[in-house]
Amino acid sequence: MQYSSQAVAKPYFIAAIGLFVGQILFGLILGAQYVIGDFLFPEIPFNVARMVHTNLLIVWLLFGFMGAAYYLVPEEAERELYSPKLAIALFWIFLVAGALTIVGYLAVPYATLAAVTGNDLLPTMGREFLEQPTITKIGIVVVALAFLFNIGMTIISGRKTVVNIVLLTGLTGLAVLFLFAFYNPVNLVLDKMFWWWVVHLWVEGVWELIMAAILAFVLIRLTGVDREVIEKWLYVIIAMALITGIIGTGHHYYWIGTPEYWQWWGSIFSALEPIPFFMMTVFAFNVVNRRRKEHPNKAATLWALGCAVMAFLGAGVWGFLHTLAPVNFYTHGSQITAAHGHMAFYGAYVLVVITMISYAWPHLQHNAPAANGRAQLLEMWSFWLMTISMVFITLFLTGAGILQVYLQRVSDTPLPFMVVQDKIALFYWMRLYAGLAFFIGLCLYVYSFFAKGKESLASS
Amino acid sequence: MDTLAQHDNDSLPGDFAIWIFIFAELLVFGVFFLAYAFSRANNVELFNESQMQLDRIAGAANTLVLITSSYFVVRAVAAIRTGNSTRCVHWLLAAIAMGGVFLVIKLFEFGDKFSAGISLSTNTFFMFYLSLTFFHFMHVILGMVILAAVLFKARSGGYSAQEHTGVETGASYWHMVDLVWLILFPLVYVIH
Amino acid sequence: MSETFTKSMARNIYLGGSVFFILLFLALSFDTLGALPKRDNRHNITPQVALGKKVWEENNCLGCHTLLGEGAYFAPELGNVYTRFGGSKEAIMGFIASRPVDGIPGRRSMPQFNLSNEELEAVAEFLKYTSEINTANWPPNIQG
Repeated sequence: MQYSSQAVAKPYFIAAIGLFVGQILFGLILGAQYVIGDFLFPEIPFNVARMVHTNLLIVWLLFGFMGAAYYLVPEEAERELYSPKLAIALFWIFLVAGALTIVGYLAVPYATLAAVTGNDLLPTMGREFLEQPTITKIGIVVVALAFLFNIGMTIISGRKTVVNIVLLTGLTGLAVLFLFAFYNPVNLVLDKMFWWWVVHLWVEGVWELIMAAILAFVLIRLTGVDREVIEKWLYVIIAMALITGIIGTGHHYYWIGTPEYWQWWGSIFSALEPIPFFMMTVFAFNVVNRRRKEHPNKAATLWALGCAVMAFLGAGVWGFLHTLAPVNFYTHGSQITAAHGHMAFYGAYVLVVITMISYAWPHLQHNAPAANGRAQLLEMWSFWLMTISMVFITLFLTGAGILQVYLQRVSDTPLPFMVVQDKIALFYWMRLYAGLAFFIGLCLYVYSFFAKGKESLASS
Repeated sequence: MDTLAQHDNDSLPGDFAIWIFIFAELLVFGVFFLAYAFSRANNVELFNESQMQLDRIAGAANTLVLITSSYFVVRAVAAIRTGNSTRCVHWLLAAIAMGGVFLVIKLFEFGDKFSAGISLSTNTFFMFYLSLTFFHFMHVILGMVILAAVLFKARSGGYSAQEHTGVETGASYWHMVDLVWLILFPLVYVIH
Repeated sequence: MSETFTKSMARNIYLGGSVFFILLFLALSFDTLGALPKRDNRHNITPQVALGKKVWEENNCLGCHTLLGEGAYFAPELGNVYTRFGGSKEAIMGFIASRPVDGIPGRRSMPQFNLSNEELEAVAEFLKYTSEINTANWPPNIQG
């Protein structure tokens, strides 16, 4: 660790992993509810558990992004963070606000939560992923602005590297686009149209900038490859991501009441969306193969390469599978969508945050470039366990989805939704087992932080 | 910089980064053209009928305008290769002016269609016609912006006979815009 | 590689390309806003529909169901439920009102939300309005 203020990243990473565990626990509850319909009913109905599952994901990824920014920005800018105190204060505000929101979801009926938090004044609740009470949303905006101020002041008065600039534009975009979460017209079509300005333009737009910047930072450090080369390709890859991804929003405008030309615009541009992910994979492997030094943190390299590959598979390949309008006509809103969502989020965003944590943690905790051999070995085992489990979750959901689409939408005698759900229960059972394996992998990952090795740490 | 590059016939003129961009753009247009062809095959009558409402004279005129502007750009590159910045600037100016002519003709065409109540939602043919031509229209504007940036740098003596990658970069992009129109015009306006 | 490949050109393509496609996206979105009145059934939005949407949101219905294909995949699509229930608002209201408090043993069950009659009617009206949005013929059939 070169700058003492980088240490503020530590609580962010701890919170991220803690909430990650919570997210997976609720994922298991959901998986069980798919096959044992009355599991935990009526105490934790499916909609509540799902809200907790998805909101925890978003919150822990945001914790991860912020932690990553606090760690890498000072090092890139070659100066201390503008205000470490502000960073710590924001951490507690965000954590408490997040925790209260989750407790609110679990403790009282959602309608009560809406009433208590004054949803009447500015109704923004009850839309997928944006279920947070309006007051929490305002809190998110405040935290995001203060965070951007802190990071921005550090970058402006320090060395301006491409990694920092791209990260800053990504984070700014994240904050700005979130403002559309406050636009909730009664007109359902308008509501849905602009809801995607938050959701799609986040995950297939500005988040990709954040992801690419973090990956570039880690690859520069791990491989010792010339920064100029990595930065050039960083620009080209994110340019491709935005060129395809912005108009790619159209693949959400096929069936929600928006004009039909989106079927063409959306199909054409989103068909090209795998390209930047493919470039990222090729690039990551190239850089690692041409490395100029042997970095002792092997685990971080594995996470980074895994991130590139899984992002390509999840976002690129599984996205392409159902993005063309004639295909999407049948798959829209089926388990195929769920399959894609799981692998894409895991590959692109879960893994990029873990990559960053894996790289930064030894510096933060041990003041050493890498954890001991045993801890790294455990980390790598956890990588394979989680990743292979996620591949199986995706495959089982895809199987469920194909059957669902056929039985419910394609066959000559379409069956009702609930009948179909019973028929494909076997796939849901297998998905649940894969989910349990994922959870074991996650436990192993958490355990790796406490693993003691035989060799002593090369502390500096 | 790499002065060998200009003499090496195997390498692409201009900056490699623009070629990645050009490749991406050609891919988008290529897929769009394929989609058009596919769609047309399923609706030949509708396409033929709607096509009659297009102004082929304006389209043909614009084809000539763009080819001419591409020629001017070629002259600009030739001028800078001999180190003549002033002449390069003049040819670039001429090329940008032709781009402007293209835009004006196209705007009249668009105005004509809009006043006839035609929009993206009219039918599949006009969806493609408006999408493709508007998308290309924006490319012409972007190309003009790029050429203008090159022009300003050339005017302040930023290029020489040895180092003029920027001029070649701008020229490559402009030729791409021209090329796309050369496919678009016959495909959408003419082929029956 | 013998070509020139500069960082500044890569940056220009990133910036120029982004601005270009943002503008294009805004232009298309603008056109969409103009085209929506013919498709989005806005003339049927009444205060009752507005209340129905609010009830829909404040009970997190999207946490289990899809609406026009968006939401969770745990329970049936509701964009066309009005048609699936034979164009009967009473059927929708009756279904919601009759959910058992403690669920159904071993099966998925919709929670009992204890909605007032006014709220029930509003939700049904909201779902009727939704079913009349022009969705380019989605879903493929009545089963959603």
